[in-house]
This record gives sequence, C-alpha cells and structure tokens, in this order.
Amino acid sequence: MSKKPGMAQALHKVIMVGSGGVGKSALTLQFMYDEFVVDYEPTKADSYRKKVVLDGEEVQIDILDTAGQEDYAAIRDNYFRSGEGFLCVFSITEDDSFQATQEFREQILRVKNDENIPFLLVGNKSDLQDKRQVSLAEAQSRAQQWGVPYVETSAKTRENVDKVFFDLMRAIAARKAQGNQSEIGERKKKTNCCTVL
Amino acid sequence: MAPPPVVTGISPKEGPPGTRITIRGEFLGSSLQDLIGLTICGCDCILLAEWKSPNKIIARSGACKGRGDIIVTTRSGGQGTSTVQFRGYHETIGPLKESAVWVEEAPIQSYVWGRRALSPTNQQDDLLGISVEENEGKKFPEDELFELFGDASSDLTSEKFHPGMFLLQNHHATSFDDLKAGLSHLQRKVNSQKEGQLSFLKANVGTVMEQLDTLTLLKEQYESDIAKYGKKPLEKLEGSIKKSMGDANQLFNEVLARRERADATRNALAVMQRYKFLFCMPVNIEKNMKNGNYDLIINDYARVKNLFKNTDVDVFKKVLREVDYRIETLRDVLKKKLEEVPFTLEDQKKIIRHLINLETDGDPAWDAIASHANYLKKSIEACTNEYLGTENKEDGSKEVYIKTDTSTPLSVRQFKLTKTEENNAPSKVLCIEALCDIVMEQLPDLWRLGQCYFTGQLHVTVDTEKQEPFKNLVLSNIRLAVNSMKATCDASLTSPWLLHNLKCIRHLYAALIHLDLPSDALDIFGKFIFDLRSQCLVGILKQTEDNVMLLARKETWEIEYLDKNEGVTKLTAEECLLISLSNIHYTLKVILPQLTENLKAQEYPDLTTAIGFNTDWTQLESLDKAVLEAYLERRSDPLIGTIEPSMYVGDLDWDSDLPARCIKPYTQEIVANVITVHAEVCRISPRLLKRVLSHIVENIAEEVSRVFSCVKSFSHEGVVQGRTDILFLRKALESFSSHRAKCFFDEALNSIPKITRKDDIEKIDILLTKVYSRMRLQLSCLKDSVDSRVDVENLNMTRLTIV
Repeated sequence: MSKKPGMAQALHKVIMVGSGGVGKSALTLQFMYDEFVVDYEPTKADSYRKKVVLDGEEVQIDILDTAGQEDYAAIRDNYFRSGEGFLCVFSITEDDSFQATQEFREQILRVKNDENIPFLLVGNKSDLQDKRQVSLAEAQSRAQQWGVPYVETSAKTRENVDKVFFDLMRAIAARKAQGNQSEIGERKKKTNCCTVL
Repeated sequence: MAPPPVVTGISPKEGPPGTRITIRGEFLGSSLQDLIGLTICGCDCILLAEWKSPNKIIARSGACKGRGDIIVTTRSGGQGTSTVQFRGYHETIGPLKESAVWVEEAPIQSYVWGRRALSPTNQQDDLLGISVEENEGKKFPEDELFELFGDASSDLTSEKFHPGMFLLQNHHATSFDDLKAGLSHLQRKVNSQKEGQLSFLKANVGTVMEQLDTLTLLKEQYESDIAKYGKKPLEKLEGSIKKSMGDANQLFNEVLARRERADATRNALAVMQRYKFLFCMPVNIEKNMKNGNYDLIINDYARVKNLFKNTDVDVFKKVLREVDYRIETLRDVLKKKLEEVPFTLEDQKKIIRHLINLETDGDPAWDAIASHANYLKKSIEACTNEYLGTENKEDGSKEVYIKTDTSTPLSVRQFKLTKTEENNAPSKVLCIEALCDIVMEQLPDLWRLGQCYFTGQLHVTVDTEKQEPFKNLVLSNIRLAVNSMKATCDASLTSPWLLHNLKCIRHLYAALIHLDLPSDALDIFGKFIFDLRSQCLVGILKQTEDNVMLLARKETWEIEYLDKNEGVTKLTAEECLLISLSNIHYTLKVILPQLTENLKAQEYPDLTTAIGFNTDWTQLESLDKAVLEAYLERRSDPLIGTIEPSMYVGDLDWDSDLPARCIKPYTQEIVANVITVHAEVCRISPRLLKRVLSHIVENIAEEVSRVFSCVKSFSHEGVVQGRTDILFLRKALESFSSHRAKCFFDEALNSIPKITRKDDIEKIDILLTKVYSRMRLQLSCLKDSVDSRVDVENLNMTRLTIV
C-alpha cells in the first residue's frame, strides 16, 4: 500500500440515479463483477463496495444502486444525502428517461445544496443504436448546460463502463482535496477575523 | 485452500425480516456443498440460502435488526468478510404507509417477527424526509408547547393533531430551507400516493384478488344460508341449544345422583374403618409388641390420638383408656429393654426414639446412658468376681482350670491365648482379657450414645448440664475397670502373662484413642499402661536374676565340643575349676562385648551410665583369680610336695662318688607331672596353658632351687649329676618358664659348686644329649603345645560348657 499504515483507505461514495429500467444495476454489476444481467428485476436499494486502483492509489468505491421506480422516490432524499458523486443514467432508447434526468438533477442539487457536486450524465444502452431516441447532441447540450461530462455507455458490451466510474471517482477525489484546502482556508480566514476584531 | 469469501455487494441493502437478498462477491464457495455458513447481521441464514455461483448467493434475511455484516463461510476458504452491510428493520404501518394486508395498528407487541408499532414521532423522517437526528438534544420545552397549543396534540393519529405543535416539537431546530424541502417531499409523497394507487394495486394484485374472492365467497355463502334457513336462523339455533341443554341435564342427573350415593357409602365405610381401627387397637398393640414392630404401634397410637383425642363417646373413651394402658406397658417394656444392655448402638437409638415417640416421661436417652454405664460397671465387677472369686476358692493355686464352654463368648476370648493351651492361662490373665473385652465392647457404645445425646441426634432436648455427669460416669467406669485390672495385675503374675496383659490393654487403649475420649479418661489408661510396663520390666529383670541364680545348680560340667563329638568322662574338681576358668574367660572375651554391642545396636543407653557398673568387670576378674588360685593349689601343691621326697627316695646323696649316668628319676617325675597338667588343661582350654603352666613351672623352679640350696655338700659326681638335672629341667620346661622361673633355675644352678674340670662339661653335654634323645617324646609334648598354639586358640573359641 502506498498509504501510511493505519490510515484509512479513501472511500468514494457513488450513487446511481435514473429512471427505472435504464440500466443502473446492469452498469453496476458489469463494473463490479464483469457480468451482464439479462433478466430485469426492479431494484430497491443495493449496496456494493470494492477495492480499486485509482491512478496508482488503492481506494475503495462504494456504490449505492437506487430504485428508479417512482414508488421509491420518497426514500431517495435520504440516500442522496450520503452520496459524494452521482452517475445520472438514462437510456438512449427512451426519451422519458432522458427527461427524468432533469428531475433527478434538481433533487440532487436540492439535497446536496452544491452546484459543483461530482456528477456524470450517462447515456446507457449505446449498443442499441438502431433504437436510439435521444440524440448525442441533445444529451451533450444538456450536460454542457449543467457543466458536467456526458458519456455514452453499454452495460452489455462494457463500453465505457470503467471510464464512467473512474472519471467520477477522480472528480470526487479532486473535490475532496479541494474541500480540505478550502476548509483550511476557511479556518485561516476565521483566525484572520479574530485578529481584526 | 481457496481464499476466504468476500461479500462486496448486496441487493437490497435493507429490508424487513424475510427479505430476499442477492449476495454478490468473490470466492463464495465452489459448489452448493462448499457453502457451509451464512450469517446476516448475526442471524444464521444458511437454511434459506441458495448458492448460484462463486459470485452470487440468494438468501432471505432473518429476524435481525440493525446494521450488520454478511459473513459467508465455505469449506474451502473458511470464514469470510464483507465490505457491505445489510440493515434489517421492522416494518411499521402508520397513517402514511399503505399496506395491502390488514395490520393491527394498536400497539400490540406479539407480531410474528417481533414487529412493533412505533409512536408516530419515530416516523417523522417518513413524514418530511428530514432526519430527526439533527434535532436530538434540542427539544422544545413542553410547558411552552402546552401554553401555545393547549390540549392539542402532536400525535399524527390524534384527532386534535396540530401541525404547528408537531413542527415545534420535532423540527424547531430545522432550517427553513430544510423545512421547505420537507414540505415538497411531503407533497410529492401525498401526490404519489394519489397517483400511485394504480401501481399499488398492481403490486399487490394477488392479495387484493384474494380478498375479493373471499368477499364473494362470503356473500354467496350468506345468500345460500338465507335460502336454506330462512331470514332468522338465530331463533332456530337458540331453540336447539335450549333443547340440548335440557337433554343433557336429564342425562347427567342420574349419573350425579349415583355419584352422590357412592360418596355417602364411601364416607360411611371410612367411619367404620376408623372405629374398627380404634377397637382393634389394643389387640394390634399386643400383636405388634410380640413381633417387635414398635414403629407400627407408635404410628397407630399417634393416629388414634389424632382421631379420638377429643371424643365424648363413652365407649371410645373406654377403648382409649385400654389403649393407653397398653402403651404404658409398652413403655415399661421398652424401658426395661433399654436397661438390660447390651444392645448395639443402633438398637439403643431405635428404642430411645420409640420411647420419645411414645411421649414417655423423663429423659429416656439419659436413662439409657445411665443404665448403660451402670451395666458396664456391673459387668466389670461381675467379671472381676467371677475370675478372682474362683481363684480364691482354689486357694492360691496359680493355675485355674476353667472349663471351656463353647456357648459363652469366653471361648472366643481364649482364642487369643496362643502361648499355652487355653486351659492353662491363669485366671487373672483371663480376667484381664475379659475386662478388656467388656470395656472395648461397652465403652465405645456408651461414649457414642453420649455423643449422640449431646449433639441432639436422639431427638431429645439436649440438657447441656448433663455433660459433667456424663463425663463423670464415663470416667468412673474407666477408673473402675483400671482399678480392677490393677488389682489383678499384682506381683503374683509371671512376666510373660504380664506381657500378655499389657498387649491386651494396649490393644484396648488403641481402640479407645479413636473415640475422641476426653484426655483425662485416656490419661487413666495411659498411666496404668505405664505402670504395667514398668511392672513387666521389673518382672523380667527379676526373672533373669532368678535364672542366673539357678544356673549354678544346673551346671552339668559337661563340655560341649561344637566341632567334634567325643565322649566325656566324669570330671574331677580340678577339671571343674578349669572349665570355670575357661567359661569366665569366654564370658569376658566374647559374651560381655557382644552384650555391649547388642545394647548399642538396639540403641539402649550406654552400659557405663548404669548404676554400680565397673568397666573392667573386676568382680569377674577377681573370681577368675580365685578360681585359678584354687586350681593351682590343688594341682601344684601335691606336685611340689613330691619333689623333695622323690629326690631322696632312692637314697640320693649329692656327695657320693657314683658317676652320673642319667638324669635322676625325680626329674623325670616332674616332667611327667607337668605333662599331666598340660594334658588336662589342654583338653579343656589350650588357651589357659601358658597361664596355668607358667605358675606351676614357677613353683617347681622355686622348689627345686630350695631343695638344691639345702644340699650341704656336693661330690664331684654330684655336681655333674645336679647340673645335668637342672639343665634338663630348664630345657624341658623352657616354653612355660617365666622370668621368675628362670631366675629360680639359675639360683639352683648357683647353689651347686662350679665345675672345675673340662671333661666334666663334656660329660654333662653327652649326658644331656643322651637324655634328650631318650625323652624325645616327653619333650615334644611340652614343646608341641607352644607351636600349635594358634590353631588351638581358634578351637578354643568354640568350646564352652553346657549350663
């Protein structure tokens, strides 16, 4: 381990959001276990955690796979509160799911109360190009509007699966480092204030 | 061995008991058989686990609550770890929670999964979606709440629910933004409930359909019932019930009546039984007394007393009196029995218990002790009288013949006598043995009885003041026994019997020591034993002394040749003296040192510490001297006395001119006499030769010297003759000559005039040579003994006289 012994491994908490049936669980399972699940079974709330090597450093990723169904919308707030980064997934074959991302984005921002929260817009099922309903440009423009990256993935072919998770983790790690600094800065400010007073 | 299992994924991550859970991870077992353990939040869920692949297990959660690890155990990898956690919770139904099945809302605790109805305040994060944890410790004061809202309630289920009070009580520290978010959350939730009704029905279609089916069935059943039984089926039912009640009563009345009759009969029988018991009581008592079933009598008596004690019926009273009379006799019988000891301790205890159960007056236990002690005393006295009485009749004869009667325990006692035939033992010894046996049999029982009495084992109130009398009883008995024994063990008994007695008494003492008797009781015995020991010792020493005195009479004066058996002639007085000398010598050299050695080996005190002891055995030595002198007197006096007469018997004249041809006869006689003595001594003890003969030779030399000094004149030939004689004697007796003897010989020579002529010397030499060769045998006799002395000395050690 590159870290000092006794020091806890960095833990990045990722939350999968998006409408039901867009492939959140499929992405997660593909990332975790290199396996593609064909059967559809609505998720309630699943938890996954494993060690990965991120830019030469061993870290832990904790994935909370949430329910897409409206029935569970009530319990989302609680989940969102604990997340450090979000993968907002929609299916490129279903326009409704793309529209729903707007709602998720708002809910996340409301709960986290942070415009710069690590966030990736993910268009899944990129292997089904012939059934595409959401165009690449459409999605990209929305991502740009939010100031977040947009990536198209395929849980079936594993295209860009690792990329979305690793990109998000990097963003989280960077955000944490920044947070620490700003905290220190804040503390400095405070001391300054005191001296002024 | 495979790596331990690691659980990295769980779906879903929380749920009520029974939730179907998909567990994902690595090394979760190579096969269904490999998976041997699964615990979720500490609950064992292996029974409902379904192994899918090394990466996936499907299971159902158990009755767990709270967050906990998922631990998979495999045969190949052992116990695993988990990176994710499952949270079990118990579902609660509240006003905002829909449920497809009926759930009791009242707070009843006994649900299948231990489900609990929580108070609505615990559900508030369901209400607004805002964590309560932030508000913890910041409660709004209750009094102010009451002032503000009066009797309104913050309870959601209450009819007087007031939203303001609810917010103040639960969220008064929540920020406005959060509250806004909470409000929208609540709105969304309410909306979703309105919109989601269809989806709710969809989700629970099975249950709903079932409910519908049931309702339909119910309706159909009801309709068919109405068709069958008309509009009012209840009236019919009531009639039927009433009728059946009447029938049942009829049926049972008969049975009940019968039962009552049976009860009455049974009661009557019981009464009869009781009376019969009472009236038969006296006879039963009699019978049981004969058979010794005292327990039975006591039981019956107690029962009778219980039943009829307060009776007013005259007949009963009469019978009771009869019974009491019998019981009184029984008491007497028991008391008597207790007095006529011996019994075993157990029997005595039993009788005492009986007596106590019979409510006998007085203290039966103490009576038993007293009578026992009394009996012991009596038996000791009787025993003493029996034996010593017979002895007096026999008028001092030491040995009494007691007829052995096999039926008495005496024969058993005499069995111990092994020293002589049993009949031969003196009555005193028998008396001691009998006494010992009596004490050994009775005293322990008495003592134990006493102990039982004082420890309360006899079921009587313990009278501690009786400790002292009891002790005195025991002590007086012991004293009595010891005194009788002392009286018996007087000086008239020989020491072997004393020893035997000592053995008996010591045996008794050893037995008594185990009893925990008070020390003064044991001391009595200890002192007695000590006395007896000294008495024995004195007796033995005295006997030895007597034996020594008797020795003189027993001396047979026969020599025992231990190496070769030879015939022995009758001894002369001189020989007796010699034997005595030899014996004294043997005693001094062998027996006394041996005695000292033995004493030392047995670790007795050194002999020198004894009173009046002299280390050199002077008395024995002076005896030795006296004996020697007596012998010498008897032997050498006649020998000496014959010298002079036999010298002149042949008209020897030292002044004659007869040429000397040989030594004179008196010389030969002297030599012969010495040889005789030599032989005598040598036969008895060659060791004594030197001592005895040197004295004799000395005397001879003195006598010879005296005789020669008396000769008035010597002729020439006489000189030669005299010198030859003396030289020969000197030569012959040389080996036994002491310095003094030699001096005497020299003196004798000097009293003879000197030889003047040279041929005389030659003549003497020639003569001597001649005599030596002729008397070779005699000379060798006297010489031989000197040479073979060493052998003889060894021989001597084994010779002693028979005493």
